[in-house]
Amino acid sequence: MEHPRNGGELDDADTVAEEINPVCGDRLRLALKIDNRTIKAARFLAYGCPPVLVCASALTELIQGKTVKDALQVTRKQLVEAVGGLPLRKQHAAALAIETLRSAIENKDSGGKPTFPT
Amino acid sequence: MVAAMLPYLTEKFGNASSVHRLGQEARAAVDRARREVATLIGARANEIVFVSGGTEANNLAIRGICEASAGQGRHIITSAIEHSSVRGICEALEKRGWEVTRLPVYEYGIVKVEDVHAALRPDTVLISVMLANNEIGTLQPIEEIGTLVRAEREHTTRKLWFHTDAVQAAGRMEVNVETLGCDLLSLSAHKLYAPKGTGALYVRRGVRLAPQNLGGHQERERRAGTEGVPGIVAFGEAARLAHLETNERTQHEERLRTIFENGVTQRIDDIVFNGDPARRLPHLSNISFRFIEGEGLLISLDLQGIAVSTGSACSSGTLEPSPVIIALGRNDELARGAIRFSFGKDNTEADVEDVLEVLPRVVEKLRQLSPLNKDRRLEAVSVE
Repeated sequence: MEHPRNGGELDDADTVAEEINPVCGDRLRLALKIDNRTIKAARFLAYGCPPVLVCASALTELIQGKTVKDALQVTRKQLVEAVGGLPLRKQHAAALAIETLRSAIENKDSGGKPTFPT
Repeated sequence: MVAAMLPYLTEKFGNASSVHRLGQEARAAVDRARREVATLIGARANEIVFVSGGTEANNLAIRGICEASAGQGRHIITSAIEHSSVRGICEALEKRGWEVTRLPVYEYGIVKVEDVHAALRPDTVLISVMLANNEIGTLQPIEEIGTLVRAEREHTTRKLWFHTDAVQAAGRMEVNVETLGCDLLSLSAHKLYAPKGTGALYVRRGVRLAPQNLGGHQERERRAGTEGVPGIVAFGEAARLAHLETNERTQHEERLRTIFENGVTQRIDDIVFNGDPARRLPHLSNISFRFIEGEGLLISLDLQGIAVSTGSACSSGTLEPSPVIIALGRNDELARGAIRFSFGKDNTEADVEDVLEVLPRVVEKLRQLSPLNKDRRLEAVSVE
């Protein structure tokens, strides 16, 4: 929380996705630069409770340098472990991060058009 | 205060209900504390019931009155911005067949007396409106409601009781039960700098309550259970000091708050102050920071050694934005971005300067990470 990593946007992103937790309004936007099926850069913007920011930051660290295929293997459990654990009632923050990553990659596969929820 | 309570944690460890000398020593200390707490609010000592805190005081007042008066009616009037304990009690009573009218508080967080009057019904037995709100500090027109209640009782034969939660107000303004015209008033020791775990309910002479703790004669049959003597002694000393120092503390806290609010206004854009700018407690400032979420701001400030609070709680993925801020008509974003800053007697101008130095940086950092903020900037560019 003190030093979130990879916050911001990517001017040359290949894909961007934004997901919202409709229950509480948490919002995560993820931008990826993908080259040769490998995630070269990941940046996030997040609105929500601290675990949302922390999970987004940890996710970008976990997936940078990974192939898209390997990045899709990252589980919610691994992300929770990467942030040092989350209380039960904050698990949704990790779920939102994984969901946003999947959307971003799906967008890339469908032509790279960003989809923002309205 | 610590010095006053220490003997009751060590050599004077008697149970105030015991007959022996140690017990009587404890009893005398509890009675002294009772007089101090009574003096703080202009009451008689035998009108003070010691309890475990503000929440229990509110429970004893509302449930106690409702259970004792159920035969006369089952309607309660309260406000939309009461403390969560009052909210919770009212919801529980509704499930048992009581009807509750929650008065609106409008833009500045203040109940209108005419709304209280309009809400009165022949079966209303209790009005419970807080003296000052715990999140935004706004002061409610308790004296006027007290006058209304007295007039209502004079003109009719009805039983109608008036409770006010003064937990946040005591020690921050003059609180006098005669001036306020209330029948019941809740207090908490820790708001006066005494240890947590003690509170009191003022019960006007002649008001009948159904006790909520049963099985003991303590507190004149109104609250069974062994008295927490050290906490009560500290509460008494805290009340004595608060009574002496209220004006001085109030002026100090208000001065710090003015410096703080002027500084924040100059240094941070896109903020909204919540509550009435004038009719409020001297030590609270509640501000909504747009585009960011309060909990993130709270944690970021905490990492810098600054403790603030939010009224919202994110749990199980269900965010409950502060009902108080929502009741002011603010949207979810402003309610989620609301932070309460409170200033105490021991804070200094240097503390405020520290906050003014840290806060703009932390807000800007979180806004840099906020998609709402980015979208706002894009919109601004496209409008230009």
